[in-house]
Amino acid sequence: MEIELTKEDLAFQKEVREFLLQHAPKNSNELWSKRDSWFKALKEKGWDCTKWPVEFGGSGWKPVQYFIWEKETADYSLPPEMPFGKVMLAPILMRYGNKDQIDRFLPDIRNNKTNWCQGYSEPGAGSDLAALKTRAELSADGTTYTVNGTKIWTTMAHMAQWMFCLTRTANLEKRQDGITFLLINMKTPGITVKPIHTLGGSHHVNQVFFDNVQVPANNRIGEEGKGWTYAKGLLQHERSGLAGITRTLVTLDKLKKNATTVKDGDRTLIDDRTYKTKMAEAEIELRSLEFAELRSLAEAQQTGEPGTASSILKLKGTEMQQRIQELTIEAAGVFGISQGSKVAGPKFAQMGMMMYLNGRAATVYGGCSEVQKDVIAKRVLGLVD
Amino acid sequence: MDFNFTDEQQMLRDSVEKFVREHYDASKASERRKLSRKAPGYNKEYWQTFADLGWLGVPFPEEYGGIGGTLMDSMVVMEELGKGLVQEPYFPTVILFGNCLLIAGSETQKQTLIPRIVAGEILGTLAYAEEQARGNMADVATTANKQDGGWVLNGVKSLVMNADSADYFVVSARTSGKRNDSRGVTLFLVNAKAAGVTRVDYPTVDCLRASEVNFENVKVAAGDVLGEVDGGHVLLDQIVDRAVLALSAEALGMMENLYKDTASYTSQRVQFGHALSQFQTVKHRIVEMFVESELVRSLLYRATMEAQGEHADAKRDMHALKFKVGKAGRFVGQSAVQLHGGMGQTEELRIGHYFIRLAAIDAHFGDKDYHLARYTDMMTIPTGEADANMMPF
Repeated sequence: MEIELTKEDLAFQKEVREFLLQHAPKNSNELWSKRDSWFKALKEKGWDCTKWPVEFGGSGWKPVQYFIWEKETADYSLPPEMPFGKVMLAPILMRYGNKDQIDRFLPDIRNNKTNWCQGYSEPGAGSDLAALKTRAELSADGTTYTVNGTKIWTTMAHMAQWMFCLTRTANLEKRQDGITFLLINMKTPGITVKPIHTLGGSHHVNQVFFDNVQVPANNRIGEEGKGWTYAKGLLQHERSGLAGITRTLVTLDKLKKNATTVKDGDRTLIDDRTYKTKMAEAEIELRSLEFAELRSLAEAQQTGEPGTASSILKLKGTEMQQRIQELTIEAAGVFGISQGSKVAGPKFAQMGMMMYLNGRAATVYGGCSEVQKDVIAKRVLGLVD
Repeated sequence: MDFNFTDEQQMLRDSVEKFVREHYDASKASERRKLSRKAPGYNKEYWQTFADLGWLGVPFPEEYGGIGGTLMDSMVVMEELGKGLVQEPYFPTVILFGNCLLIAGSETQKQTLIPRIVAGEILGTLAYAEEQARGNMADVATTANKQDGGWVLNGVKSLVMNADSADYFVVSARTSGKRNDSRGVTLFLVNAKAAGVTRVDYPTVDCLRASEVNFENVKVAAGDVLGEVDGGHVLLDQIVDRAVLALSAEALGMMENLYKDTASYTSQRVQFGHALSQFQTVKHRIVEMFVESELVRSLLYRATMEAQGEHADAKRDMHALKFKVGKAGRFVGQSAVQLHGGMGQTEELRIGHYFIRLAAIDAHFGDKDYHLARYTDMMTIPTGEADANMMPF
């Protein structure tokens, strides 16, 4: 075992740093003003879809290089891209889509031209996704599906042009059979998107209703009834990206810096021993998780499968996101409650509170913590249901 | 970065694992208490086997008869010995005494003593604990005064591991300064049979042996100082780091078996018509035990690799590790006892012994609160302007 980066890795780290210094947005204003030139620079460098297979334009990096990239971009506080197209749908499309579908959808995903949303959960199908009921019926001539039903908790459906959607095409004994994977244009007549306001009043998620929505059969990925198999692979892509450990470490560093500015009588909050100890305990947990992630990456490179350490990343990574959010509102104190624009107190207070409220979803989406534990019990520990 | 064990490390692991499987299988756990009741509290034939198999030479360079192993090698051995709950004094002799010599000893002291440790001829231990000091190695009330070109030691050391079998003690004593000063502590090599050394021997709750050792006007030659006079605290600090790594590896081995044993026991025991592990409240607790154990593994690998490479974060992550071992060890050990129900209360099964040993490991060399406090002291605080954008996602 060897912890140090090799000469080659250090050279790569330098290359990433120089690239970011030259092209990356430096603050939240530049995130919008520099958005196009940033995407252009990424594409020219060949770093715009690094995790894709090389034949589709991926970078073919070693795990340690992904880790370096993640760490360096986190230090820049770059927001990660919306995962739905590039991270979640693209791998399915490349593996199970036909050539026509790949040509039609993949370039726009790569160029950030389409926003995708994910149509999985339903009012009666959350953790138990296979209970989904949204019907898709194929016309007698085999050209069109008619979709009826509803999807819920659909993130960014109100901004999306397309949805990848799990529909039921047959009621079979095994519920995982008879599920079909469709790509649905959100402008199709019969689709209604209704906002759902979450804790703190934000609007990210929606309920989507389908009333006799006509979907061309050539928008079906793979075979009819095999959608579950395709989606299962996709869920693994989703989960591995949700831990956000490196980013949470960066957020903790910001919190420490902010704590040195929070007034606490004649001193600042960083001098409060109890508070500082809580940060230390969180940091220790994150440092062990960070190493667990590295171990998992290394194992994935060697065996092609993420190892046992990976199973804990989503579970504990999201818990630690929430822990840092909790420490943030504790630092904000009474100022976190305010929603006014000219209020005294730390500048991060209001955003910190919104993060805390929105952050509760992290242990629910992408397989809630309770389901993650069931999965670990079964797959890693071999416990029977 | 590389996370693979070398072929040699794998062979070393296999060799210790095989010995543990053959001589220390789970059914032997219930015999531990009896063995610990009287000296020496371990099996001398097994000790010779340890020597024959080369394990006593793992941390030492080849020039002193060792195998020139790294900290990772010691970690591998300790993890497997931990699973076996072995009572042989590997930790006091090889890890504590051995590293005292390696880190603080003169060339002559190393040449004379290390080959004899490797051969299984001598045992040694570290006498550091004092009633008032808790985890603070600088808090030393035992004194050493100059006399006739040598030194005279006076004081009492507690919980000296395997003192009743040891041929040598390394003793920390104050040679100058006030009780808490880090400067002014000196390490002495003391023959266990020296005049003025008296012991009260006893078994420990984790079925090992220890003693209260009284030093009354014990004469030590000038040549038996280890390292620099007054400079012993810095050395002790490094020795304790090695001890923490070794005990953490031992703890990891135990935690791994604790979640595995619990998964297996609750899968066999049927109540209300179901295996206990089918109840979600039981199942999830076992998953949490597994998760904690894997987090300890990650921190152990991290701290060990950092210490080996003399990395800038090494010391801080050592504190992180001992804290995490203490905290996770409590949770994993208590959960195993709880989920084994009545059987968990007995000493029939090895899980009860692991539970006790984990509590002892937390108490050694500063407990979880002590190390969390040290980590907090060392935590880096970035400076610069406040950052209003806390959004990570």
